[in-house]
Amino acid sequence: MMAILPTLAIFAYVRLYPIVDTLRLSFYKWDILSKRKPFIGLENFRELMGDHLFQSALINTTIIAFGVLIITIPAALVIAALIFYRTRSRLSGFYETAVFIPHVVSLVPAAMAWKWIFDARLGPLNAALSFFGVEPQAWLFDPVLSVICIIVLCSWQALGYAVLIYLVGFKNLPVSLYEAARLDGASGPQSFWHLSVPMLKPITLYVSVVTLISGFNVYAQAFILASDAQGAPGRQVRVLVLDMLENSFRNYRVGYAASEAVVLLAIVLLLTLVQFGLLREKGKA
Amino acid sequence: MASVEIQNVRKAYGDVETIKGVSIDVPDGSFVALVGPSGCGKSTLLRMIAGLEEISGGTIRIDSRVVNDVEPKHRDIAMVFQNYALYPHMTIAENMGFSLRLAKRPKPEIAERVADAARILGLADYLDRYPKQLSGGQRQRVAMGRAIVRNPKVFLFDEPLSNLDAQLRVQMRAELKDIHARIRTTTVYVTHDQIEAMTMADRIVVMRAGVIEQIGAPLDLYDRPANTFVAGFIGSPSMNFLNGVISDDRQSVVTGDGVVLPLASPAAAEAGRPVVYGIRPEHLSAGSADAPLSLAITTVEPTGSETFLLGSIGEQKVSAQLRERIVTKPGDQLPLTLMPSNAHLFDAKTGLRIE
Repeated sequence: MMAILPTLAIFAYVRLYPIVDTLRLSFYKWDILSKRKPFIGLENFRELMGDHLFQSALINTTIIAFGVLIITIPAALVIAALIFYRTRSRLSGFYETAVFIPHVVSLVPAAMAWKWIFDARLGPLNAALSFFGVEPQAWLFDPVLSVICIIVLCSWQALGYAVLIYLVGFKNLPVSLYEAARLDGASGPQSFWHLSVPMLKPITLYVSVVTLISGFNVYAQAFILASDAQGAPGRQVRVLVLDMLENSFRNYRVGYAASEAVVLLAIVLLLTLVQFGLLREKGKA
Repeated sequence: MASVEIQNVRKAYGDVETIKGVSIDVPDGSFVALVGPSGCGKSTLLRMIAGLEEISGGTIRIDSRVVNDVEPKHRDIAMVFQNYALYPHMTIAENMGFSLRLAKRPKPEIAERVADAARILGLADYLDRYPKQLSGGQRQRVAMGRAIVRNPKVFLFDEPLSNLDAQLRVQMRAELKDIHARIRTTTVYVTHDQIEAMTMADRIVVMRAGVIEQIGAPLDLYDRPANTFVAGFIGSPSMNFLNGVISDDRQSVVTGDGVVLPLASPAAAEAGRPVVYGIRPEHLSAGSADAPLSLAITTVEPTGSETFLLGSIGEQKVSAQLRERIVTKPGDQLPLTLMPSNAHLFDAKTGLRIE
């Protein structure tokens, strides 16, 4: 017990203390500089309810998080299955790495590259679309399209991690079940649909929650993609973390930003609880 | 129903040949057991019949059709796996009906055939449960049910009882035999347990290191093993082997330490030839003081119905299984007799049977 105390102390200081202090701050009004820090109860939360910027940030963030989820999960499952069942191919290692690289690449340069891809005048996306007779789109300036762009970027990044976790899942599925299914007359896609998808459900739940949580924390992707110049993020695609940062360090309303953080924490906590709930239900069956 | 003909089948992984030209004929409706020690290739052979392993050479015919390059699902076979391979997320009914569902049979038909199979196997009350809610024996029955539902031409069993405890294994053995007697589907059954093979099969194929040592009816293998390997593998406890040479009158075998082992008739081998004299433990019995053999006892294992004795005759280790109760202890000398007609003679060099 004594031996792990230092670790616990460090963990408490860097992990628990900030959470608790954020919770505390959300009940105060504070401008970072002054010594005065009056307690105002739930006033910050009451103000949040009527804050249009916060609401649009919350809606955007939710759309992005679930958009990433809807793209990432099926895509990761299919890609992992393709990589796993084509392991005889000499290139399987290459495929695995290729899919995983976006996850380890530094976010900002990657986002800059995507910004170039989406560029209305110089971007290859519009150039490619023009081959099919599609009019050039202002990807990063249209309020709807720019959300889609952020979803694409975030999915591209989340995919590698999801594929990796799914691959581990595939490797743990018993081979004899697939042999039994082959004898039962199942084709490859049928085995995938009737066996792999249901049996990987716990992994799907885990990957979903991780993807959703990281989706709710989206910030730099929006900051780089949807701002015309760095440091001046437009209000086009306002996300929660961006709103928090602005409130803290631009508007000097730390208490108010803390209350936003508490809302974000509540959402993430809720999602985690839902996952545990679903997993437990699965265990009962 | 169908016959299975395996002709000169080979399996090689690179340069390593694990099955070296095997030919077996499984007649329509018969129950053939493949037995052998671990790694003898029996499971690989079964998987080749199923289509789960590619065939490196030779041909396999099911119902007179060459199936070498036929997909497993088009071979019309059903296989029961050692670990049952039940789909964990499906109910028992769904597990059993999965193949019919894939074949797009109408729902009422699926339900009816599943119900029929469940009735045969005594699973009717468990159809809505999941595999993990069942005991090992029940799961085994579900795996059987999944095979029966399809009404295949051939059943393949890959050590289906080896995950069960001893008592259940005996019970399931009887059930399997009973089911085969009722539905008479051609069956190929892989096991390393020779008792299973002896009790269930019409014919036994004994394999070792990728080759067939002997094919025959269970009691033929017991009574007339073709070589020392089969003699030692079939029967429990294993046959005793005593090294010696044919006596001058060819009526007995004399061991190196002078023990004389009687033969029923003059041996079909010249005097002085080195041979192996085989006698099963159950064919030895306690004799009177002037009996020809004397066992120096090292271990006594009474089981109630029988007494197992381990010891040596001369320098060579021997075990005996006596039906009578005898009071003896390690260190004693016990006179033993035997019926010479129960003895087996093998060539010392090749291990082949000498008639």
